[in-house]
Amino acid sequence: MCRRILVLLSSLMILATQTSCWSSKEIEDLALYAGLALDTAELSPTEQKLEEQGSTYTKRNRITATVQVVPANSVGGIESTDGSVSPYMNVTGTGDSVLEIFRQYSILRERPIIGHHLKVIVVSSELLKQQSMNQLMDFVLRDNDIRPSTMVFISHGRAEETMISKQKGVIPAFHIRDMMRNQKRTSKVLAPVILSKLDSFMYSKRSYALQNLVTANGEVEFSGAGVIKGNTGHWVGALSQEDTECLSWLTNRGQSGVIKTYDWSNEPITYEVKSLKSKITAKVDGDHLSFDVKLTTEGRLSETWNEEEYPAATHLPQKAEKLFNKRLEQMMQSLFHKLQSDYKADAIGFSSMLKIQEPALWRKLEDHWDEVFSRTPIHLEVDLKITDFGSFTL
Amino acid sequence: MIILFATIVSFVPGWAVFGQAGAALLVPLFLRYIYRSLYRFVGSGRGQIGHGTKTARQSQPPVPAHSDTPRPASFSGNYNSDLLAVRAAIGGNSDLHFREFTIAHSGARAVLIHISGMQNDRVLNMQIMQFLMYDLPAGSLSSAEIAGRLLPFSELKEEAAIDNFNKLLLFGHGGLLIEGLPCGLLVELPGSANRTIGEPVSEALLRGPRLGFSEVLSENTAMLRRQGFNDQLEMKSYRAGNTIQRDIVLAYMKDIVNPDLLEEVKNRICKIDFDFLAESGYIEQLIEDNYLSPFQQLQNTERPDRVISALLEGRIAIMLDGTPFVLIAPVTFSMLLQSPEDYYERWLPGTLLRLLRFTASFLALMAPALYISFISYHPGLIPTELAITIIKTRQGVPFPSLIEVLILEISIEILREAGIRLPKPIGPAMGIVGGLIIGDAAVQAGIVSPFLVITVAVTAISSFSIPMYSAGITLRMLRFVGMLFASVLGMYGTILFFLLICCHLSKLKSFGVPYLSPISPFRISDWKDLFLRAPMALMKRRPVMMKTRQNKRKS
Repeated sequence: MCRRILVLLSSLMILATQTSCWSSKEIEDLALYAGLALDTAELSPTEQKLEEQGSTYTKRNRITATVQVVPANSVGGIESTDGSVSPYMNVTGTGDSVLEIFRQYSILRERPIIGHHLKVIVVSSELLKQQSMNQLMDFVLRDNDIRPSTMVFISHGRAEETMISKQKGVIPAFHIRDMMRNQKRTSKVLAPVILSKLDSFMYSKRSYALQNLVTANGEVEFSGAGVIKGNTGHWVGALSQEDTECLSWLTNRGQSGVIKTYDWSNEPITYEVKSLKSKITAKVDGDHLSFDVKLTTEGRLSETWNEEEYPAATHLPQKAEKLFNKRLEQMMQSLFHKLQSDYKADAIGFSSMLKIQEPALWRKLEDHWDEVFSRTPIHLEVDLKITDFGSFTL
Repeated sequence: MIILFATIVSFVPGWAVFGQAGAALLVPLFLRYIYRSLYRFVGSGRGQIGHGTKTARQSQPPVPAHSDTPRPASFSGNYNSDLLAVRAAIGGNSDLHFREFTIAHSGARAVLIHISGMQNDRVLNMQIMQFLMYDLPAGSLSSAEIAGRLLPFSELKEEAAIDNFNKLLLFGHGGLLIEGLPCGLLVELPGSANRTIGEPVSEALLRGPRLGFSEVLSENTAMLRRQGFNDQLEMKSYRAGNTIQRDIVLAYMKDIVNPDLLEEVKNRICKIDFDFLAESGYIEQLIEDNYLSPFQQLQNTERPDRVISALLEGRIAIMLDGTPFVLIAPVTFSMLLQSPEDYYERWLPGTLLRLLRFTASFLALMAPALYISFISYHPGLIPTELAITIIKTRQGVPFPSLIEVLILEISIEILREAGIRLPKPIGPAMGIVGGLIIGDAAVQAGIVSPFLVITVAVTAISSFSIPMYSAGITLRMLRFVGMLFASVLGMYGTILFFLLICCHLSKLKSFGVPYLSPISPFRISDWKDLFLRAPMALMKRRPVMMKTRQNKRKS
């Protein structure tokens, strides 16, 4: 009996030694990165000095990757919340492989970085002229940690500048992510393109538009969009803020925004969109393909600087509607012109409409769609209605 | 076809994977082996091998061994020798009083024996003595039958065996020996100092009867009887204990209880073979199905209303003299999280409170384990802003999360244990002050993170919301096991731990009733009273799982 207990006990002890906390990693020993910025290669001063001392490896300098680590290292228990310490820390590396650059951080910083909490990827348009989106996003899409819900942006200037904030206590990556909420207020904010959507764009070789970030004086602004051409994956041009607005309306992703124009006495008059629907129909007449775009919108006359006109006068709505109608058409035509003539890229998504409505034709045009698109006429029809004038006293 | 087959074959893993699968299979087999051999080594309290099995019917429990001294086993009728025998056996007790006298008219000698403090002296002196010495009508008290006719006492029991007579005397009965009578008479029931009946301390309710059981068995049975008019409530008395015997009463509803269940409970009670049953916990441990299980297999309660409603569901109550805790058998898991208040309040609040309790018990069991697995293994599962806050607060903490949790959990458990021992007026205050100060100071000192303090506090509060104290201890204990699992295998381990508990629970039985019923085996009609408490109008039948003799609650 004694032997049996001994056997039992020893086997239990062996069991205990077998298991150990091998994959355990305390959260405070890890560095979360919330933002990633990709730029054309440019060595940071620290890197330059390090390389001068011979600290380098076999690489071609093609990209500079900046990760935003949160929270920045701080020693001691409870951190002071007065904001004297920056809440984030940007780490930069240059090379020709995103993963290799990431691993280089491990010989620079004590905490390994993990990508679970990556929220925002910003790619500079300069870099996208040299490298295709597929090349840059390959690692990010393959990585197991990084979520497919990460949002992708384009920056007008250097992307690493979007990861710097002048305001104390603000983490730029979160700031950019949270600005997306303003989509409710203005259609100048495009619907976010997340990694999984980007993946489908890239591999179906479709052209698409990404929200553009402009930085000045430590502030980041959403301004316009950048167009990526599907078959090359390169950046081909920028869209203005109005174009971006039209783009969200055409794709039915925007239900808000303002249309401002100047009235008969050259005073500003503003229309606020309450609802907007667009319908794109492909028309095939023999070999001749064309698109009908119908915009239906209702809204409110929110502001007019014209003091002479009595706001509720019966003739005013018709007059104003006509003005706004013209303005909206103008804006739309400008977008169409840019996409068709300048960039030759269908970032609006006419292709998917054609695919659904005329699958047989689409199969024929699939391979050179962007070329076909640039030659396809688009007929625009706008139906704008002012339903109310806001509250005002008689 | 061949291509298809080849495709399938290409997915068949290599020998190494099969080997791993085989090795993984060894783990449960090994655990089972350990479990079996442990059970065989220790044996069950009932002197039987195996567990959870139905005990075979046995004739009678072995009669407790008596001393072999040659003493007259029964009264002879010879006054002198009988008295001498009694005196020889128990006369050495200083609190035993012998009062000899002569009975009126017949002139027979008699002796009244009693223990001081256990009898009302006034009754003894004024009524019994007076009657025997002056008022007894003529006639020889030569047999118990005649004595029964002549003596006008409501409590009158003859006892032929001297041993038993002595035991009863020392238990507090008043004893009477009369010349010529070949047996001893017991005239008065023992009455000793009792506490007043109070509110049940461990199961306080806001709404519901304030009555709790007391230490006196007869009072407890009376409380059950006083619940209402009924002729089917049956109580059967047993006596157990080898050195000091105690009364056990089985209570059940004759027309409801399942006869097989009743037979099983009686069997197990009869087989109790132990020195002394100090509390009903002894019975619980001696008759339960599986003593290696962390879960209790009999419910203990102080509330008569709880007992009577259990009886109406076809369960059996086991009452022991000397303790206010009554056992209810069989017990199912859901009973541990139910409170009588669920039924006293209207069904919507009752349901809400019950669901709250289920949530709380889950938290009490899993919260620290989840904390450890999130912190140490899955930082990606925490919302980003929270993750950042946790990192900030934990940056000064020198310990891995398991040690951190253990420090705080153990100190909270110590605090709780100390709170029970502390004198009543300062107990709660000490608990609050201790908890606050320890929590706050530990954070200030950088030993634990503030987030953990929240976790531990939620856990502690949750475990207090479980209405059964014993069930609360079970969860408190299992919590530590869960923490170990979480610290070794992360979320995977936590889920594994939960599954292990589920496996164990679904295998466990209490007196033949599956512990998890009505969840497994699935009985949809009993779900009315599981997570939800259906309106009274829907509670038409008794629980199916109890297989009651008649199942209608409504006419």
